[in-house]
Amino acid sequence: MGKLLHAIIIGLIGAAIIHIVVLLLVPEFSERDAWSNLSMKADFYTMTRLDTEPGSPAPIKSIDPLFAAAACRFDLNDGMVQVTAPGSAPFWSVSVYDRNGHNIYSFNDRSATSGQMDAVVLTPAQMIEMRKALPEGFEGSIFVEAPIEEGIVVLRAFVPDESWRPAVTKFLSQSSCDLQQF
Amino acid sequence: MLKNALLTLLALTIAIGLGGGSVWYTLDAQSGGGAIRIGPWTAFPDIGTLDADPYSQARVARQGALTLGRAEGLSFVADADSSGEGLRRECSYTIEGGFPTARFWTLHVADLALESIASGRPHQAALHSYEILRQSDNSAVITVAPNAAAGNWLPVNGSGPLRFMLNFYDTPIAASTGLSDVKLPAIVKSGCNG
Repeated sequence: MGKLLHAIIIGLIGAAIIHIVVLLLVPEFSERDAWSNLSMKADFYTMTRLDTEPGSPAPIKSIDPLFAAAACRFDLNDGMVQVTAPGSAPFWSVSVYDRNGHNIYSFNDRSATSGQMDAVVLTPAQMIEMRKALPEGFEGSIFVEAPIEEGIVVLRAFVPDESWRPAVTKFLSQSSCDLQQF
Repeated sequence: MLKNALLTLLALTIAIGLGGGSVWYTLDAQSGGGAIRIGPWTAFPDIGTLDADPYSQARVARQGALTLGRAEGLSFVADADSSGEGLRRECSYTIEGGFPTARFWTLHVADLALESIASGRPHQAALHSYEILRQSDNSAVITVAPNAAAGNWLPVNGSGPLRFMLNFYDTPIAASTGLSDVKLPAIVKSGCNG
């Protein structure tokens, strides 16, 4: 009887340890995280629509059915990345995520110069270079300093009703994600 | 000898079964570390950020979701009505009350995995604040029902568990200090089919 109790107590202690270990390992070993799903869909520096036609599963789960979104993967070791989209949408917002899907920085259309979506993601070291002399083509850009290497930029746009869908689709399909060098 | 082996096996079964199962359970539950509950609604303001607790981080990795940033908005989920009863797709509900400050908000219905449910009609199973009819005191009454209703109607269909997702965009409540005195609408069950 004492041995049985002993085994159960050891089992419970082991359960606590396994609980913690599994919990901490889930992010490491998750194969369906946003990065993996997106890398199956498109290469680096390619804007990919996250809301696909009905039937095929979206690469990244949509947070809101009234939103359309596009995302691209980048690697700041190659250089900085500029994300632009001409035109406008009733509301748009941008988030920068690291490789594990942590939100590093976000902003919305109120932050943008004259409502135009133009953002540059770069490392603090690249930002120092940038401050020395601002190259042409970056005058209206929002600079996002991110202390990361690989990451994901997501552009989300609000679709209030179906009549807005063509305009928002155009906004997202004309968006670009470009590697920029000094 | 056999007895010892059986006891070891028992200890291992408890450890692996209970340890793994409890992680599974806590990651699916709409509660836990970092959750803020306001009436029937739950939000995880830190989810998806580097400040998030290990449970939120595991939840994000498992869902493969990219969560809204602080400057984008804040998501609330409801899995029960205001009396604590679980939400069902075959039931009708009234969502009633005022909404906190935000540029706009959206409300949609989702299943257990928080995937939005298609209404199967031209009318999308989602509403937003720009199209809402309001009461004279600026509050809103939204009817969630399988059959069309007057006023603000959010269609549901099928059967099974239901979740309401309420997203606020460009809102000051996304800053953690803003959440202390936020009031969210009540969810009242008005009837069930079958």
